[in-house]
Amino acid sequence: MGSLFKKPATLMYPVVPREWQERTRGHIDVNEPECILCGMCMRKCPTNAITVDRNAHTWSIERMKCIQCGCCTYNCPKSCLTMAQTYTAPSVTKTVDTFEIPQKEKAGGAKSADGKLQNNIEECIYCGLCAKNCPQEAITVDRKEKSWKLDEEKCVKCGLCTEKCPKKCLEIK
Amino acid sequence: MSKRTIIPFGPQHPVLPEPVHLDLVIEDEKVVEAIPSIGFIHRGLEKLVEKKEYTEMVYVIERICGICSFGHGWGCVGAIEGAMGIEVPQRADYLRTIWHELSRVHSHLLWLGLLADGFGFESLFNHCWRVREAVLDIFEETTGGRVIFSVCTVGGVRKDIDNATLRAISQKLEEIKKETQKLTGVFINDTSVKNRLCGVGYLSKEDATELCTVGPMARASGIVQDIRLTGNGVYDEIGFEPCVETAGDCWARCKVRIDEIYASINMIQTAIDKIPDTEIAVPVKGNFSGEFALRMEQPRGEAFYYAKGFDEPTKFMERMRVRTPTNMNIPAMVKTLQGCDLADVPMNILTIDPCISCTER
Repeated sequence: MGSLFKKPATLMYPVVPREWQERTRGHIDVNEPECILCGMCMRKCPTNAITVDRNAHTWSIERMKCIQCGCCTYNCPKSCLTMAQTYTAPSVTKTVDTFEIPQKEKAGGAKSADGKLQNNIEECIYCGLCAKNCPQEAITVDRKEKSWKLDEEKCVKCGLCTEKCPKKCLEIK
Repeated sequence: MSKRTIIPFGPQHPVLPEPVHLDLVIEDEKVVEAIPSIGFIHRGLEKLVEKKEYTEMVYVIERICGICSFGHGWGCVGAIEGAMGIEVPQRADYLRTIWHELSRVHSHLLWLGLLADGFGFESLFNHCWRVREAVLDIFEETTGGRVIFSVCTVGGVRKDIDNATLRAISQKLEEIKKETQKLTGVFINDTSVKNRLCGVGYLSKEDATELCTVGPMARASGIVQDIRLTGNGVYDEIGFEPCVETAGDCWARCKVRIDEIYASINMIQTAIDKIPDTEIAVPVKGNFSGEFALRMEQPRGEAFYYAKGFDEPTKFMERMRVRTPTNMNIPAMVKTLQGCDLADVPMNILTIDPCISCTER
């Protein structure tokens, strides 16, 4: 009987819009200018929903595959991936959202990015943590030969190696 | 002797939320034998362990089931943490316990609704799910997801709940408790409901023990068995007492789950009062190695998680094995079906709270 005199428990959607919580996991957004196309999100995505194409300078996500776990947002070294509150529009086809990532130009017109990864080789203990954590496998470390090599073509200057380095001898200058 | 007939039950059936098939051997109106078959929604999630890193595997494992998703996530990270020797901060343990018990409340409310729907009480079903919505709102507010939380991570939890929100949750739970009391009174006292549940699907304590029954199904037959008495979490600090009934019928299973809702609400409120202010996660470094087995008390009963690494530490696990409670309760369900009336078959199936997604993974 009490239910006769109560307000409806349901929401009159879509006339009354849904209120999203601050933490609602709706869909993944990318901040294009910040993205360095390191590919970390693509590697970590449990459903392989993200594709990063460094040659075409695109970052794309297959919305139907994405499970909104937020794994990519936690692993993005530049924190350019965020979880937005609203859900994506329903679709009858498997849509892929592709974002153009602007190429980063140096003031002098050189190819890319904010400086260059440099290793203070006197401090380096050749532990190999930088190589293990590099998303692009741009670093090669040989402990026996005591050599540390960087493939500058592959390096995306994400800074992960500098964070992981136990001796703090890596720096992007 | 009457003629025997075989009636196929499922995989698509109004009382079955998930697909399971039963061949019911009927003699007049009595079920003589029930032959279950599963395999309709096998997804091979355990096999993914070969391709997904151990940190990503948590997201896969918690998607085994939508209702006890958090428990699966916790079981998976618990096994990984055990193998790697990781100590989780106490606040993370409290938060995990709070989310897990909230999951139990929402799972049991969902099940009560399904049971009401099963015996034809539509409005009771809607009311149960209305109350459950309030719990889902708490989940959305604290984790960002209504069903799958993705907050459990190796080393702790991803998101904290501030103390003001925790106090608000405690108050909300008080309202949920009052609302639930109105509904559970119907399940416990209503004559027409009792006619459908009392004395139906009797499972003796001896049979329950012999058939390795777990969870509320076992506790309704008088077995004091609950992994929360021994398992992980902070249950020893928040006054956990197992809910046990002795009647062994459908009504007793319903009563155990109703009591567990109140017990869980009380435990969450105690946990909120006692939660310490520490870190919520510790950084986890290195590759996976070692071997660990863990038992968890899911809303449906005991679940078992086993994680094993390769000889050399790698990013991948060699094996991740999950054994779920419904898997253990199917033999007991078959036992209760033997000799029951055809009209009581839905009640017998529903009262084990079948989760076929869990069973098949």
